[in-house]
Amino acid sequence: MEKKTARNFFIWGTVICTAIFIWLTIDTHKTIPERTNTDKLTDEVVAGKRVWHKYNCNGCHTILGIGVYYSPDVTKVYSKRGDIWLKEYLKNPESPDPKRRKMPNQNLSADEITKAIAFLQWVSEIDTNDWPPTPITVAKVTGAPLEETAMILKGKTVYTQNRCDLCHRIGGQGGVIGPDLSKVGTAKVPQWLSQIIKNPISVNPNTQMPAYPHLADDEVQALVSFLSGLK
Amino acid sequence: MTYESQKVAIKFFVISAIFFGLQTLLGLLLIIKYIWPDPIISILPFNTARAIHTNLLVVWMLYGFMGGTYYVIPEEAKTEIYSRKLADLHFWLLLIGGLVGVVGFLFGWTAGRPLLELPVELKWAVVVVALIFIFNVSMTIFRTKKWTAIQGLLLGGIVMLAAMWLFAIPFFKNLTLDYYYWWWVIHLWVEGAWELIAASLMAFILLKITGVERAIVEKWLYIELALVMITGVIGTGHHYYWIGTPEYWLWWGGIFSAMEPLPILLMVIDTLRHVKERKIEIKERLVLYWVVGGAIFHFIGAGVLGVAHTLPVVNRWTHGSQVTTSHGHTAFFGAYAMLILMVVYYALPKLKGLKQFNEARGFWVFWITVLGMALMGVGFGGAGIIQTYLQRILGIEFLTVQEFMKPWFMLVFFAGIGFTVGVVLYIIDVLKIATAKPE
Ligand code: HEC
Ligand code: HEC
Ligand code: HEM
Ligand code: HEM
Ligand SMILES: [Fe+2]
Repeated sequence: MEKKTARNFFIWGTVICTAIFIWLTIDTHKTIPERTNTDKLTDEVVAGKRVWHKYNCNGCHTILGIGVYYSPDVTKVYSKRGDIWLKEYLKNPESPDPKRRKMPNQNLSADEITKAIAFLQWVSEIDTNDWPPTPITVAKVTGAPLEETAMILKGKTVYTQNRCDLCHRIGGQGGVIGPDLSKVGTAKVPQWLSQIIKNPISVNPNTQMPAYPHLADDEVQALVSFLSGLK
Repeated sequence: MTYESQKVAIKFFVISAIFFGLQTLLGLLLIIKYIWPDPIISILPFNTARAIHTNLLVVWMLYGFMGGTYYVIPEEAKTEIYSRKLADLHFWLLLIGGLVGVVGFLFGWTAGRPLLELPVELKWAVVVVALIFIFNVSMTIFRTKKWTAIQGLLLGGIVMLAAMWLFAIPFFKNLTLDYYYWWWVIHLWVEGAWELIAASLMAFILLKITGVERAIVEKWLYIELALVMITGVIGTGHHYYWIGTPEYWLWWGGIFSAMEPLPILLMVIDTLRHVKERKIEIKERLVLYWVVGGAIFHFIGAGVLGVAHTLPVVNRWTHGSQVTTSHGHTAFFGAYAMLILMVVYYALPKLKGLKQFNEARGFWVFWITVLGMALMGVGFGGAGIIQTYLQRILGIEFLTVQEFMKPWFMLVFFAGIGFTVGVVLYIIDVLKIATAKPE
């Protein structure tokens, strides 16, 4: 090949591929309204996006899998956690566990929290071609039935992971929205406990307690063993 | 060195080296925050430290590219630089802009978009810097109208770099479109514009040290860069799988990006061939190490580790995990950091009129940084594989999985300390050469 041929290869290769890329870009724009529900992209959602930028949340988190890998992806956090949980969480995100990696409290105003949640809700409805993927198998930490103590330990972890402490106190630690659980084991039977965790509305239709439908059965069971032990 | 005005490159190289050092220190801080509880979380939280780490990276690389360009263009165009004053002006503007940016981050002044955290005012300042630089380089070339492929492609890369930057500036209401155009900056930089710049600088140095005919070097440069653009532009689609863009990107992005390693492999082959068919004895042994080492590390970091997670079937599971960090570090280091060090070790002694300088320290820099970065790549990669398996495939909670990744982060930490030593040696070398008296 001559140098001149090589040069033309460069020029035409670049031009043609750029043209295809621009054509794909135009077509992509046409699909955006439906795939991202732009009709629901209200001013409040946009204001929430500005909150997201203002505190550089993306500098610790990924969203749509892009950003920083220091903390959990929040693409679907709205559908996983729900409104009430997020509101409490963003008010006071710092976990009481000293060893756990912390999300520092950024002192968002109540208004900013509402907007940020509106943004996260809109994001959770974007059609991401099913990303993040559903795990192939959900790891059961329990293969054989766990011994009682291991079960309780696991329940305690589930309690921390799901930040039940945002609303409940055990031994004086935690939030005040829900009842103190320090002695819940004396008052309630396990079956009732598992019901209120999985489906609190069935216990009290106006409840503030969020549902935890994503908890696996063994996790609920562990939680219940842990709570029943609180006497 | 033949033209007096080439000397303007010296200060670009010095600042580049110093910012490289600062960036590396911030990297150590980041990995410390990953491993241990964070006592300074309220003074310098992770997001701020990481913004400084990556922005310093971009700034030191821009300084390296600018210095390299100012070294190369006069020799290619056969004339002095159009205006040394303008070069000084944008040198200082970028320095002030960069420092204001870093201090601003510490006070929470941020645009809050990953890698593009610079506030909009400073982003415009960067546009001004780029315009002055492009003007100065173009005027130098127009003076003699001696067009060579090397300087044409170099200028093309710089113009593309500046043009893509414009997409970093607007505020997007829609997060999907935000990221769509975010990649026009990030991806079209590292897999487009920067490749043009880097390959042109590499071609210049190969031409000089091997004495191979210009027509041959430039022909292969065109072919390499043609393939870079053909695969890389549509290859942007490998970032459009899961962000709300249509499913057809899985095909366009997957197929085109899977071919992206080809031009990088070709670069390795061309480099080795030019060296083998050299017409003159290669005196600059250290430069040769960076040339060949850089070509190979570029291929491993960008080509191999890039293609490893570029197909949708893999990326679905690894997207946004430490696998990406492993690739990001090795690719940036192999493709651009090593290239800039090559340019500096080639150009700086010549700019100072040193016929010979002690290359021993430079060899230490080479081996320490290369080994350090290779081990960091392994560390992040190991962490990434564990994360992909436990978190994505088995569905274990994010922070629980991070505990299992700690041994690999420890590897990154220790390799990072080693790497930092190498960078310190490099800074000493640069300062020594830059302040040496001509023979
Ligand atoms: C300094 C880093 C950092 C910053 C900045 C940060 N976060 Fe976090 N975030 C974390 C960490 C770490 C966790 C996990 C904490 C835990 O589970 O105890 C977390 C957890 C969360 C969660 C819960 C995720 C889940 O699935 O349980 C949400 C929601 C969240 N952050 C939203 C935000 C928002 C909104 C902002 C910006 C206003 C923000 N974060 C800023 C580090 C950060
Ligand atoms: C957003 C706040 C909030 C969070 C988070 C929350 N709860 Fe509740 N919870 C409540 C409220 C409010 C009630 C009172 C229910 C009612 O409305 O009757 C309650 C009730 C309960 C009760 C019954 C206590 C009693 O004595 O009646 C149990 C048990 C309980 N929660 C367990 C949990 C567990 C386990 C978690 C974590 C998986 C959790 N909660 C998370 C708000 C919360
Ligand atoms: C001591 C050496 C270094 C250490 C320990 C280190 C560590 C880190 C850490 C922990 C992150 C954050 C990852 C995340 O959570 O998103 C990061 C990001 C990054 N670093 Fe470094 N770093 C070092 C040196 C470097 C060097 C020399 C380069 C470039 C040549 C570099 C380029 C980057 C890039 C591009 C990112 C963003 C990566 C991504 O998004 O995947 N780092 N670094
Ligand atoms: C010289 C070149 C390259 C550099 C400097 C580079 C750097 C990076 C960086 C820093 C990221 C992370 C961006 C972020 O989200 O913060 C990234 C992502 C990615 N790169 Fe590269 N890259 C290069 C070449 C390539 C090539 C040639 C390929 C493929 C063949 C590739 C494939 C990918 C993929 C698939 C991702 C997305 C990872 C994810 O989904 O999280 N890269 N690259
Ligand atoms: Fe890319």
